Amino acid sequence: MEKTIAAKTPLQDLRLTAEGERQESRAKYRGLLEAAPDAIVVVNQAGEIVLLNLQAEKQFGYRRDELVGQQVKNIIPEGFAERLLADDLRSAEDALAQQIGTGIELIGRRKDGSAFPIEIMLSPLESAEGILVTAAIRDISVRKAAEQHLLQTVEELNRSNEELGQFAYFASHDLQEPLRMVASYTQLLSRRYQGRLDTDADEFIAFAVDGASRMQRLIDDLLAYSRVGTKGQDLLDTSSEDALRQALLNLRGAIGESGAVVTHDPLPTVLADEMQLVQLFQNLVGNAIKYQDPGVPRIHISASRNSGKKWIFAVQDNGLGIDPLYFDKIFGVFQRLHARDEFAGTGIGLAICKKIVERHGGTISVDSRPGQGSTFRFALASGSHS
Amino acid sequence: MRIDVLLVEDNPGDVRLTREAFREANASIRLHVASDGVEAMAFVRQEGPHADAPRPDLILLDLNLPKLDGREVLAQIKSDDHLKTIPTIILTTSGAQADILRSYQLHANAYVSKPLQLDAFQSLVSSINEFWLTKAKLPHRHGG
Repeated sequence: MEKTIAAKTPLQDLRLTAEGERQESRAKYRGLLEAAPDAIVVVNQAGEIVLLNLQAEKQFGYRRDELVGQQVKNIIPEGFAERLLADDLRSAEDALAQQIGTGIELIGRRKDGSAFPIEIMLSPLESAEGILVTAAIRDISVRKAAEQHLLQTVEELNRSNEELGQFAYFASHDLQEPLRMVASYTQLLSRRYQGRLDTDADEFIAFAVDGASRMQRLIDDLLAYSRVGTKGQDLLDTSSEDALRQALLNLRGAIGESGAVVTHDPLPTVLADEMQLVQLFQNLVGNAIKYQDPGVPRIHISASRNSGKKWIFAVQDNGLGIDPLYFDKIFGVFQRLHARDEFAGTGIGLAICKKIVERHGGTISVDSRPGQGSTFRFALASGSHS
Repeated sequence: MRIDVLLVEDNPGDVRLTREAFREANASIRLHVASDGVEAMAFVRQEGPHADAPRPDLILLDLNLPKLDGREVLAQIKSDDHLKTIPTIILTTSGAQADILRSYQLHANAYVSKPLQLDAFQSLVSSINEFWLTKAKLPHRHGG
């Protein structure tokens, strides 16, 4: 038996298929649009809204029939329509091309008049009616609130830090005077009555004098530490070679006494507070000279550029070396690794170095093994003529 | 020959330290003390309870004083024709550039920071004695 197949003409066949395909792709497109997590609004060259999705209805609080045909200015009062305008200078495509891919932060306005922060991303859409603009619109209220909170927290932290710095300065400054009294008078006692009271008295006075002396040094160092922040100057182009030379000049006594050999590569111009850079070199080289097994200290300073715009300085020595266990500890305030009678010092030197380097936007670190010397490295921004 | 030095200082601890240091440096120094700015002016002007005060050969002046500030005392001394010829040395804990500049602007003869260590303090007083009271020539006293 012959099956009868309902026959259409080939042409009608084709047209029906093409139409079906168009309808199917339109439905697919509409489906995508409605399912999109962001609000989508399509706007024509006249600034009128021609299409929007469900999210757009929800975000702005309108029904779509209230918005289609309306000016996009009604929901985004400023910053959008202007970007679409083709003027004498450039075509619509060019105007658009400049905005593609970049998120633009604007203010959206809901039906009830309330405003909220949005981020829009634009893309062009070619159509029979000319270039349309598709805007993906995201409500960034939460992000904005978080940003604001972060900014506030940073501001509070900065203020708190400054207060702490001031406090450290005033505390150490005000402590100096009564301390001077204690130190001076115990020394006077010692001088005038040594050997004239009993040996116990001599011993007691000696401990008091020593304690007062140490306290004076601690307060001095604390003041120096707090001054890194409170007395810091602006960062300007500075010759690091000049700064090193000044530091070595300041250390000439220690260098002479120890017979230390200090060498350096040519050093660059960096962005720095000159006095603090001198202090930094002085502390690092001073340490290198101090922490030695008896022997001739050999110290070398070099600088190399990293992949960014920074110079990495290295101060290398042949001294005692440091156990990796203590790599972090040594940069702490008043942290020492040796007994008072082994090496002098309050343990503030590296803490000051760290504070100076961090003030210059860099970090400081050490590489070392006990008995194999140490290399201290820190980064500084390059100067404008480097 | 007796030398009269006026120390203007409100901290009794510092007064005693200075006294001891001068005693060691120069036994013929008579140290007078004023503990605030008002008393200092009364002394140099030989007024009130200080009517019989000797005219000082040298003044050591602290900056931070009660009642009348040291800077004010300096200004008054150096603008008074009768008093401006007395060498006046600022002796203070402040090392601030602003204070140093201001003091010299007001015609202080010298500015010295009080050292923290006893040795250094005694050495300083010794230097002051050696320069100002031994080597430098001072104007004769006015009317004895």
